[in-house]
Amino acid sequence: MEMMSTTQAARSSGFWWRNSAVWLVYLGVSLVLGFSYGGHWSGIVLISLMVSLCLWVGSAFIRRWALGHDWLQRDLLGLTWRLLLAVVIVAAATQVLTAAVLLPALAWDWVQLPGQRANYRPAAVFGYWFNTAIVLSVWCALWTGRRALQRARHSEMAQLRAEAQRATLEHQALRARLNPHFVFNALNNLRALINEDPARARDMVTHLSSTLRHALVHTDGDWVTVAEEWRVVQDYLAVEAIHYEDRLRVRTDSDPAALSARLPPMALQLLVENAIKHGIAVHPGGGELTIRVQLDGGWLRVEVDNPAPHDASSAGHGIGLTYLRAQLGLDESRSASGRGTFLLERQGERMMARLQVRQ
Amino acid sequence: MSPSLRVLIVDDARLARSELRTLLAAIPWVECVGEADDVPAARDAILREQPDLVLLDVQMPSGEGFDVLDGLETVPMVVFVTAYDQYAVRAFDTNALDYLVKPVEADRLRAALERGRARLPVPAAPVAPHATRDLLGADDQVFLRDGERCWFVALGEIRKIVVDGNHARLWFRDQNAVLARSLSTLEARLSPAMFFRANRNTLVNLRRVRAIEPSLGDGYDLTLDDGSQVEVSRRQARELRERLAL
Repeated sequence: MEMMSTTQAARSSGFWWRNSAVWLVYLGVSLVLGFSYGGHWSGIVLISLMVSLCLWVGSAFIRRWALGHDWLQRDLLGLTWRLLLAVVIVAAATQVLTAAVLLPALAWDWVQLPGQRANYRPAAVFGYWFNTAIVLSVWCALWTGRRALQRARHSEMAQLRAEAQRATLEHQALRARLNPHFVFNALNNLRALINEDPARARDMVTHLSSTLRHALVHTDGDWVTVAEEWRVVQDYLAVEAIHYEDRLRVRTDSDPAALSARLPPMALQLLVENAIKHGIAVHPGGGELTIRVQLDGGWLRVEVDNPAPHDASSAGHGIGLTYLRAQLGLDESRSASGRGTFLLERQGERMMARLQVRQ
Repeated sequence: MSPSLRVLIVDDARLARSELRTLLAAIPWVECVGEADDVPAARDAILREQPDLVLLDVQMPSGEGFDVLDGLETVPMVVFVTAYDQYAVRAFDTNALDYLVKPVEADRLRAALERGRARLPVPAAPVAPHATRDLLGADDQVFLRDGERCWFVALGEIRKIVVDGNHARLWFRDQNAVLARSLSTLEARLSPAMFFRANRNTLVNLRRVRAIEPSLGDGYDLTLDDGSQVEVSRRQARELRERLAL
C-alpha cells in the first residue's frame, strides 16, 4: 500500500511538471502568433493567458476525472465519446471564462485591443471554441496514447515476470523430486560397490532407475496410489541403505486397506527423504526411522518420524517440503486445507511429520 | 626422486572412502595414511598422521568439513569433495587447493593431487627433526574463519598479528580475521627469524617490513608493505637492532 501511494504520488508530480511545460509552450506559441497577426496589443496577452490557464487546469481536470472513473478500462468507442464530451465542455468553459474576464477588462480600459472591442459574433465565437477544442483533443489523444503505451509495457513485464516465476517453481519442483545430492552420492557409491559386490551393484542400478523414473514421470502432478508410492519408497530406501549402511534403520507399519488410497506423487518419498536428511545424516551413529500408513475414516494418515536433529531450526524449510505443501494447497502459514493437513513437530527426542490426505 | 604425498580421506560414507582409496591406489606417488568418518575422527587423524593433504567431504554428521579445520594449529592442504556443488563456491573462497564432485573422476583427482605435490616444501638437507617440527615455517597454513567467510593463509602471507581481547587478529592480503589463540601462544610457535615482537600488542612479519625509522624515545617506527605503521617499543628496539645485524 505504502509503495503504491508513493509511486502514485511520483507519477502525479511528474504529470504536473510535464503538463505545465506543455501549456507554457502553448502560451508562447499563441502569443507569437497573436502578435504577428493582430499586432502588439495587451488584450492579446490577456486572451492567450486566460486560454492557456483554463486549458492547463481543464486538462488536469480531464485526467483526474478519466482516471477516477476508469475511462481507460473502457473500449475505444466508450473512451472516445467520453473524451470528446469532456473536450466540448472544457473548451466551452474556457471561452466563457475568457470572455468573462476580457469584456470587463476592455470596458474599464485595463487592456487594449484595436477599436477597444472584442469580436464576439456567432461565427467568430464558434471559431474560438473550435480552435480550443482542437488543441484540447490533441492533448487528450497524446495523453491517452502515452498511457496506453505504458500499460502495454507494464502488462508485458508482468507477463514475463509471471513466466519467470513459473519456470523457477517448475525447476524447484524438479530439484525437489530429483535431489541431486542423493543422485550423485548414489552413483559414487555404486562405483565402489561395482568392485566390492557386483551382484549388489546390479540390484542397486535397478533401484536407482526406478527412483529416477518415478521422479521424472510424475511431473504432471496426478495423484498416485499408496501402493505405487510405497514401491518407490522401498527402492529409494534401498539406495539410501547403501550410503548409510547400518546407520539407517527403518521400521514400517502399513495398513493393507490404505494401499489403494491416493496421495500427491512423491509425498511419502519427500517425507522419508527429509527424515533421512535431518534425522539420520546428522547423527554419527545414525538412527531409526519409522513409517506408518493408515486409512482412518475418509482420511489417509501418513506418519514419518526420526531422531530430532540437534539444531531443529533448519528442518522443514527445504524445497522438498515446500513442494509437498504446494501439492496440498498449503504454505508456511497454513497447515490445513480442503485437501489435507501437514504438520512437522518435535516430540521429545524425535521429529514427527504427520500428513493427512482427504480421500 | 619426487617426494610422495601423504593423503588422508575424510568421508562419512564407507563406500565413498573405499572409492577414493581405489582411485588413490592407482597413483604411485600417493600414500594414503588413513580414513576418518566424522569431524572428531578427522581432527584426531590430522593431528596424529600430519598428512600433507586431506580429501575432505563437505558434509558430515557432526558438522561441515570446515569444522574439521577450525581451531587446528596448522592445516594441511585441502581438496573438498562434494556430491553436489552447492558448497563449491565457498570452498573456492577459502583458497582450498581444489574441489572435486562425486563420482570423482580419476583424472581430476590426479590433477588436484599433482597441484598439491607441487606445493610440498622441497626437503632440505637433513636437520634434527625436532628443530623443524616445533616451529612453524612460512609455508605452513592456518585456517581462519570469520562468520561465513574463511581462508587458508600461509604464515608467510601474514603481515602482522595484533592482540584482540584474549585472541589474536591476523592481518594478511587485504583481509584480517581473529584466531582464537593468545599472542604469546602464537609467538612461541612462530619462527623468530620471521616474526618479531615489536611491542606488547603486536608481532610483525620482518619480511613484510618496508621501512624502519627511528622514533621519539629510542624506539622505531616500522612501515609494513601495506603502508600501515607499527611502533617498536624501546625495550624491543635493542632486540631489533641485534636481529637485523645478523
